[in-house]
Parts: sequence; C-alpha cells; structure tokens
Amino acid sequence: MERARRGDENAYEELVRAHQGIAFRTAYLLAGNAADAEEAAQDGFVKAYRALGRFRAGSPFRPWLLQIVANEARNRRRSSGRRDALALRAAAEETSGGAAPSPEGDLLAGEERERLLAAVNDLREEERLVIACRFFLELSEEETAAALDLRLGTVKSRTSRALDHLREAYA
Amino acid sequence: MPELETALRQLGADLELPPTPDLASAIRGRLVRPRAWRRPVLIALAVLVVAVGAALAVPSARTAILDWLGLRNVSVVRVDELPPARPLGRLDLGPEVTLAEAKHRVDWLRVPVRKPDHVYLSDALPGGRVTLLWGTPSKVRLILTETGGRAYIQKIVEGESEVERVDIGDGGAWFQGQHIVMFQDRTGMPHESTGRLAANTLAWQLGDVTLRLEGNISRDEALRLARGIQ
Repeated sequence: MERARRGDENAYEELVRAHQGIAFRTAYLLAGNAADAEEAAQDGFVKAYRALGRFRAGSPFRPWLLQIVANEARNRRRSSGRRDALALRAAAEETSGGAAPSPEGDLLAGEERERLLAAVNDLREEERLVIACRFFLELSEEETAAALDLRLGTVKSRTSRALDHLREAYA
Repeated sequence: MPELETALRQLGADLELPPTPDLASAIRGRLVRPRAWRRPVLIALAVLVVAVGAALAVPSARTAILDWLGLRNVSVVRVDELPPARPLGRLDLGPEVTLAEAKHRVDWLRVPVRKPDHVYLSDALPGGRVTLLWGTPSKVRLILTETGGRAYIQKIVEGESEVERVDIGDGGAWFQGQHIVMFQDRTGMPHESTGRLAANTLAWQLGDVTLRLEGNISRDEALRLARGIQ
C-alpha cells in the first residue's frame, strides 16, 4: 500500500489484482450488467489511484475502494435510466463430470435453493442489496455500508428486517 | 436463525455471476499514460459531474460539461464525502520568489491589481505554477494559483457543494463549499495541491492560463477580484 501511495504502479497493480474480484462483483450487483460493472470497476480503480495520496495510511483499503466503485456503478445505472432490478440467478447444477460436491453443497439442493433465491429476488431492492452484500458477496457490515452508502446502523437494521422477511417467505 | 444465513452464503456461492475481467491489465495501461486522462473515453469514465449531481458516463457528455464550464484543464469530480485531507499549514507551493522574478520567469503570468504578500513559483506542474498569497503562509486570507497551459487539474467536491458556471475570462466556474484540488505533476502522478482551504473557489480560464482564487470570500467578491486580474 505504501509503495502504491508513492506511485509504484507495480504495487498498485498488485492491489488491483487482490481486489478486482470483489470490486467487479459489487459493481455488477449495483450496475446490473457486466459491461457497466467492468467500466465502473475500472474507473473506480483509476480514481482510487489518483486519490491515493489522500488515502489515510493505516485505514482499510477495501471499504474505501468499494465506496468509489459502487458510486461509479450507481452512476452508470442512473444515467442509463434503467429501473429494473438485477435478478439474481443460480448457476446450473453440474450433474456430471464435475468435482464432488462440497459438504455445504448438500445443504441447499434443487428446489430449496430456487425457493430461497426467489424469496431474495422478491425482497424490496434496498433489502435485497443488503442481503446480497452481506451474504452473497460476504462483505463486512462496514464494507456494506460503504458500498451502499448507508450508515452502519442502517445496514444492521435493514439486514435484520430483510432476514425477517426472508424467514416469513421462506419458512 | 443461523441456518438461513448459512443457506444464503451457500446460495451466494452458487450464483451465476459473470467472470471477473482482467481489470489489473486494463488499469495499468491507463496509469502509465497519464496524458490519457485527456482522452475522451478515459476521461468520461473518470467520475465527474457537474450538473445536478447526475453522473454521466459517456464521453460526449463529459466533454459537453467541460465545454459548459469553459474550463479546458479542470475536471470536476463529485463524491458523497470528501476523503480526509491533510491539515493546512503545510502548503507545498514551491520556493518563494518576488513578483518581479515570477513575471520574468513565467511569461504567461496574469498579475492582479492588488499586490500579493507572498509569491511562490513551482515547476512541479508541466506548464509551471505560480501561487500568489495574501496574508501569511500560516494564516492564508486569499490564494491565487495560476497554472500554465499543460497543467491538468481535478477538483473533488462533496455531493452537496454547488458548482456554478460564471461569466469571466474565457469561461469559469464558482465552487461553493469545501473541496480538494488535485493536479498531475510532470511524471503524471496525481498530487493534492493545497490541501483543503476554507473554501469557496473561483476557477477560470484566461487563454491558456487556468486561475484559481480560493478563500473565505463570496462569489461576488471573488468575481470582482478576478476581473482586476489582467
């Protein structure tokens, strides 16, 4: 991080590689399509690089980066005029030729999984985004707050409310 | 109900998400060519926004906004919250010189009617930079920064800050509220220019020179002072 702050491009590239997955997925969630997500993530990284001189040493990089990338993604969605929410889909199950399923894989098979996913997709967007950040992207509460531009308390209360709604729908 | 949370995490692992593109390579290309900031496509991707906080992500839109502002060398980035700025009192303005020396060394310098208390000349920017300061370095009342034609400046403003086009010189803009000024040095590295000053800023263009007047002053005062600069 220090090397990147001093302008070492190789060091910054390492940072990008370390965070590009989560940055892209966060952008995808908010922008709603892969092309906009890619642009948003790229621009977020470029903007972060340009602002590194003002990044407070010792602070966590990831929430700061996600905030920048998420803003980019939201801006793209807003400027495109799209209102429809991103519908999340589960990948097709591998029925042959794949590796052995993980033990957790047995937890949610077939119908169960589709039912839960439908319940998530039926949530209000603000609740769906919190669930997606916290459980699908596995962001911390702080990172979720940064990505969704919310107060920490709002993330906590909204997550709790969304889980209640899911329990009702998924029970 | 931990089962639900576990189930959600497992569902997340099963979601159909597009593969992550190789962002590192794409980014690197943009970092090693800082002049590429000026390319419409790249610039368009770089944040911005002036009008009504709307984010515009297409090249033509950003170009239009810059034209609207009349500031060829200044881009405006709106963020929800300014990142922490370094404290004042450590202004990196370059060596102090006399006004006569600055005029001698920088032929594009625009001179205000009212003589500044301090003058600094820096060659950190590609086109050079002169800073005229009223007050003292530790207690700045007003600061005028002039940059030559090739400098590229970025202003980062908070979401609620006002940005307004004003009629001065070859185009100008009034920034009400705190902001941060970034510039690219000769090597293309971005730097924070003056830290966060109290404030309000008038930025305008006179030919190839970009001027920035900052201080705790009103829009009308700033315009009156600016119009006295030839």
